[in-house]
Amino acid sequence: MGRSRFCDGVRRRDMLTIGAAGMFGAGLSMSQMLQLQAAAAEQGKSTDDISLIILFLQGGISTIDTWDMKPNAPAEFRGEFDPIATSVPGIQLCEHLPHLAQQMDKFSLVRSFAHRNSSHGHADHFILTGYHPTPAFNSKLKPNNEKPSHGSVIAKKLGPRGSVPAYVALPKMHNSGGGAFLGSDADPFTVAADPNTPNFAVRDLAPPLTVPAARLGHRRDLLATVDRYQSSAEVAANQSARALSTFQQRAFDLMTSPETKRAFDIDDESKKLRDEYGRHTLGQSCLMARRLVEAGVRCVLVHHSDWDTHNDNFHMLKNRLLPKLDTGMSTLFRDLSDRGMLENTFVLVTGEFGRTPRINKDAGRDHWGPSTALAMGGGGMTNGIVVGDSGPRAERPVTNPYGPKDLAATIYHSLGISPETIFHTPEGRPMPIVPHGGKVIGELFS
Amino acid sequence: MANGRRRRTDFVQQPQKLPRSDSGPPWQSPDFPWRKAAKHLRYILMNIDVFLPLSGKWLTLGAFDLPVEHPLCQRETNIVRGIVFLLSGIALAMLPGNLHADHSSETLETLSHLAVAPQQILLEGPRARTVLIVDGTTANGQKIDVTRDAQFAVLDTSVANIAPNGVVRGIADGKTEVVVTVAEKTIHVPVTIYASQAPQQFHFENDIVPLLTRYGCNTSGCHGKAEGQNGFKLSVFGFQPDDDYAALTKENRGRRVSTTMPETSLMLTKASGGVPHGGGIRLRKGSGDYRTLRNWIDAGTPFGNDDAATVAKITVSPSERQLTMQAQQQLRVVATYTDGREVDVTAHAQFQSNNDALGKVDEFGLVTAGDSPGDVAVMASYMGAVDVFRSLIPRTETIADYPAVTESNFIDPLIHDKLRKLNIVPAGPADDATYLRRVYLDIIGTLPTPAESRAFLSDSRPNRRALLVDKLLARPEYADYQALKWSDLLRVNRLALGHKGAYAYYRWIRDTFRDNKPMDAFAAELVTAAGPTSEAPAAHFYKVAGDAHKRAATFSQVFLGVRIECAQCHHHPQDRWSQTDYYGMHAFFTQPTFQASNLGELLTASGQEKSVHPRTNQEIFAYPLATPYPKQSPTGDRRELLADWLTDAENPWFARNIVNRAWAHFLGRGLVEPIDDFRLTNPPSNPQLLDALAREFVENGYDYQHLIRTITASAAYQRASTVNETNRRDEQNYSRFLFKRIDAEVLLDAVVQVTGVPEKFAGVAAGYRAIQLWDSQVPHYFLKTFGRPVRATACSCERTAAPTVGQVLHVLNSPEIQEKLSHQGGRIAGMLRSGTDDETFINELSLACFSRPPTEAEQAKLMEHLQGKQGPARQQAAEDIAWSMLNSMEFLFNH
Repeated sequence: MGRSRFCDGVRRRDMLTIGAAGMFGAGLSMSQMLQLQAAAAEQGKSTDDISLIILFLQGGISTIDTWDMKPNAPAEFRGEFDPIATSVPGIQLCEHLPHLAQQMDKFSLVRSFAHRNSSHGHADHFILTGYHPTPAFNSKLKPNNEKPSHGSVIAKKLGPRGSVPAYVALPKMHNSGGGAFLGSDADPFTVAADPNTPNFAVRDLAPPLTVPAARLGHRRDLLATVDRYQSSAEVAANQSARALSTFQQRAFDLMTSPETKRAFDIDDESKKLRDEYGRHTLGQSCLMARRLVEAGVRCVLVHHSDWDTHNDNFHMLKNRLLPKLDTGMSTLFRDLSDRGMLENTFVLVTGEFGRTPRINKDAGRDHWGPSTALAMGGGGMTNGIVVGDSGPRAERPVTNPYGPKDLAATIYHSLGISPETIFHTPEGRPMPIVPHGGKVIGELFS
Repeated sequence: MANGRRRRTDFVQQPQKLPRSDSGPPWQSPDFPWRKAAKHLRYILMNIDVFLPLSGKWLTLGAFDLPVEHPLCQRETNIVRGIVFLLSGIALAMLPGNLHADHSSETLETLSHLAVAPQQILLEGPRARTVLIVDGTTANGQKIDVTRDAQFAVLDTSVANIAPNGVVRGIADGKTEVVVTVAEKTIHVPVTIYASQAPQQFHFENDIVPLLTRYGCNTSGCHGKAEGQNGFKLSVFGFQPDDDYAALTKENRGRRVSTTMPETSLMLTKASGGVPHGGGIRLRKGSGDYRTLRNWIDAGTPFGNDDAATVAKITVSPSERQLTMQAQQQLRVVATYTDGREVDVTAHAQFQSNNDALGKVDEFGLVTAGDSPGDVAVMASYMGAVDVFRSLIPRTETIADYPAVTESNFIDPLIHDKLRKLNIVPAGPADDATYLRRVYLDIIGTLPTPAESRAFLSDSRPNRRALLVDKLLARPEYADYQALKWSDLLRVNRLALGHKGAYAYYRWIRDTFRDNKPMDAFAAELVTAAGPTSEAPAAHFYKVAGDAHKRAATFSQVFLGVRIECAQCHHHPQDRWSQTDYYGMHAFFTQPTFQASNLGELLTASGQEKSVHPRTNQEIFAYPLATPYPKQSPTGDRRELLADWLTDAENPWFARNIVNRAWAHFLGRGLVEPIDDFRLTNPPSNPQLLDALAREFVENGYDYQHLIRTITASAAYQRASTVNETNRRDEQNYSRFLFKRIDAEVLLDAVVQVTGVPEKFAGVAAGYRAIQLWDSQVPHYFLKTFGRPVRATACSCERTAAPTVGQVLHVLNSPEIQEKLSHQGGRIAGMLRSGTDDETFINELSLACFSRPPTEAEQAKLMEHLQGKQGPARQQAAEDIAWSMLNSMEFLFNH
């Protein structure tokens, strides 16, 4: 009917503001209650148990050669690869993703996704936070976040589940994966080790080999003896000391918790499954992501680089990149599905931008934000569909255009976080988690 | 609509008809539940403008499940109001306790004095109104806001009316009186209403823009953002009325306003929900502000007289008030126009608290204190003018006999005065061992060695603490550590300046502190740097800072502690800086230009770039903040003028900023916090102390070492970190020493010193300590993890002391730390090899880590751990003891 003013957030916020201001006593609890109900009704279900895995293919995966092939385009656009049929009739994928094609029913493609920035660093920040960087953005900072990354918002909003961290980055930190003004406890726990190496271990997670469990026990006893401030009134009254003390407790939990130990113990996985994920960093990182989510981690950011194929795009994709993505990503979807975890795990596969539809003189493709198809599945979304169209040459969306702020709204919506949530910077500036105007990609929830 | 207005008036009048009686049946007692409900009801009534738009939805969702399109929800009918009030009345009557912190009848009956502000009310023009605040003086002399306890009556209700929250509105010209009664005390306030029926002379900037701000239309999240919202763009916070006027009246083919059918103007239908609006309903149809907008459109959307008076300043009253916890205080905001006219603008002002936990403020200017002691500043802003209400919130429990407290110099009485007001007793003095460790870490960024600790702990001279400070200030590590901190702010960055340049820049900073160059000379030298960079290393500042915008912003933030960047694009929303002020500062930094010469790179003041106001396109001449605009552009190198102004004894910021930075370094929290955000609306927690420190600093020739001697000599700095019942929740008044996470470099050096195993850094000679690293890019996991800044900005916030799990895990588990513990050339192995007995070993280690001997309990427990162990087992046990000390809070913090 178009005139309904029910689903706008502003009025609920008004009610909250007024309630919080203590204007009329009962209004407070009542409007809050209503707000909660309305939010729940909007979500359609209770969704606080959904986790997020982001496979970030840094450099920018060529989407015209993978998710959004244009076999009918002229040769200088079409490229060298042929499409193949998938498990979903009518949807085609690249011939070099044969395993993934068999899992097409477990994820969807958003072919009308686009944004206006084709610079590394800037575009990364745009995709991973929903916010376009300001002119003052310095991509070299580590982390460089002007706004909190999605994982940080999730960690801050929902907190850790059990003894495992809420947000994990692997095999290394992504520069735009930080918490910005949300503070250090919204930064990811960074694994800083390659799960494909034979002696894979998370940095500093376990004591050195010369300190076996019994000796660690002694050490903890001694620490309790000498640390006169531990659990003292002084520590309780000092914010950063309190935080450090909490982290120390959390660190011991991490070190000694069987879940963490098991989650990071990739050798615990069968050799067969490890082989299926692929014996390479990307494959084993996908496997690790699944293990972490299983153990309770809310967001895993897998950072994989080398997708910046300015030169020799087709050779690079065919021989080096796509085979890894094919095994890792296809097994991840199949494995999640086999374990009944897909419904509760939102998997997003993206680079910072797509690549130029027209092939350059070096047989490569350059940066192209205006058409950046996404692959995403699970998390309560409709799988096996295609959203939008990027025109005959994959140049830009011709229908249903979506952008990073819509992606942000979609992620939070799926995870049961109201996209209207607002954080405040230390200066008091209100900062919505979704930039103004971001809307959920509705096709994925219908 | 006239009908609507009358009904509304009836409602506002209603509470005056509530039964009043001096004594009588229980239901008339102020504490009877129904009376409480009535009070709550009055809150709804007094904020009826905001409440009513919600009623439709409230009803719909809550009670009858009616669609929002239902006429009941659309119209302000008496039925709707009746039902809503009935429901809320029932709900409110069931509420326990005193939600609005209204005062108990006992408190009210013991008031010694009653006062109102303003003492007489003059309301000029149509729709004029003012807030009346009623103050009572309690038995102990404290003023409290009893507005919401008062009973109001207007003698002639055809002239004016008053709402229960004290809002007086004119109805017709004439004179009358408001009778204010609180617990049998009565005050008569004369009221004069005139020109109430005069046709309103609209002025777009004065009458319409405030509404666009009040209802959030022009915020940066909505139409105020750079690209506008849905094709409709307003200037952010309404600082460009001309553009806003054009956007409303000329764009979109005039559909936003329709002078022929005002009610169909998109501006009204969107804002009031008549047609779908992404921003929801902002304004109730028929409300006072709605009528103002409609009448303005009806009058032909006049822009108003160009030389009409505009807002010159606003004044918040009261300006200061002590509040008890959870007490409330209504604020009153009066705008003074350039023609001297004063208008109550409380209803359209915006309010913001600097600390919501200590005190929050609602959109009507009602402040509610939290339940922590401290002080809170509430900013009011209206049309670019700002003012502040400051409130001190003492602990509830008064301290009957306040103990004598040590006062060492002028700093202490200023702190203790405030603590007494807050009912907080400070911690006692720290012992010598604590002071020793503290002052070593703070002045030279280095732990005392066991030998140094023993020497100091056996020193019995009464002035041993001052002597120690003198000794530390003379050590090279003092220059190292200060240079490290200032290299962060001035951004010594190898990536930007190259190896040679960055090193020369660093040496210049370090020499400043080694030679104790006065800080005014240091700043002036940097600001006016010119010539070949090989001879004027300070010139690197201009290189690393970037263009004139970034130079101006960096200069202001580092040397003034003032953030002016906001004013590049619009009037600073929380301070007084206009775009003209910003470009006045910008103009100082357009001249310095780098040129190649045979002497290498040369900085000259030869740039010709003009500073142009982005909106008026007029050239702006260089002038410093808060000085009069010059008639002509300063000649020659304009930076000379800037440096003179900066280092003038009367400069309002420079000395305060430097002493505030030093104070924050030593005491763990700035008097202004964040330390580089001096702002009208971010007042210092102890202005008297900030002024006194700055005066002392200037009078002593900007001598930084003298400043350090002064601060470290104060009882405030020498306090223990001990928590007592009264200071537990206080983190801003220096009632105990705050724990400080030791800086990354200092902490790494401390680990090295304790274990006796040096760290090797890439690219520098062996033997360099971490605090000596001039290049913050030297790769190092420990330093990175513990928050070393990358020096990408001049913000002191880049260096972070925020704890992370990664930090904790690194000290607990890393092979790097374990390697230092077990190193054969290290302290532990060395002591064991030389046959040190258990007791000495533990004593030495405790002195090395904590600068104190172990307690008996520690000694006993640790001895037990070493007892009878030999060879590798003894080495392991010794390592474990050292490990536990390194991981203790006592080691990781400066306390």
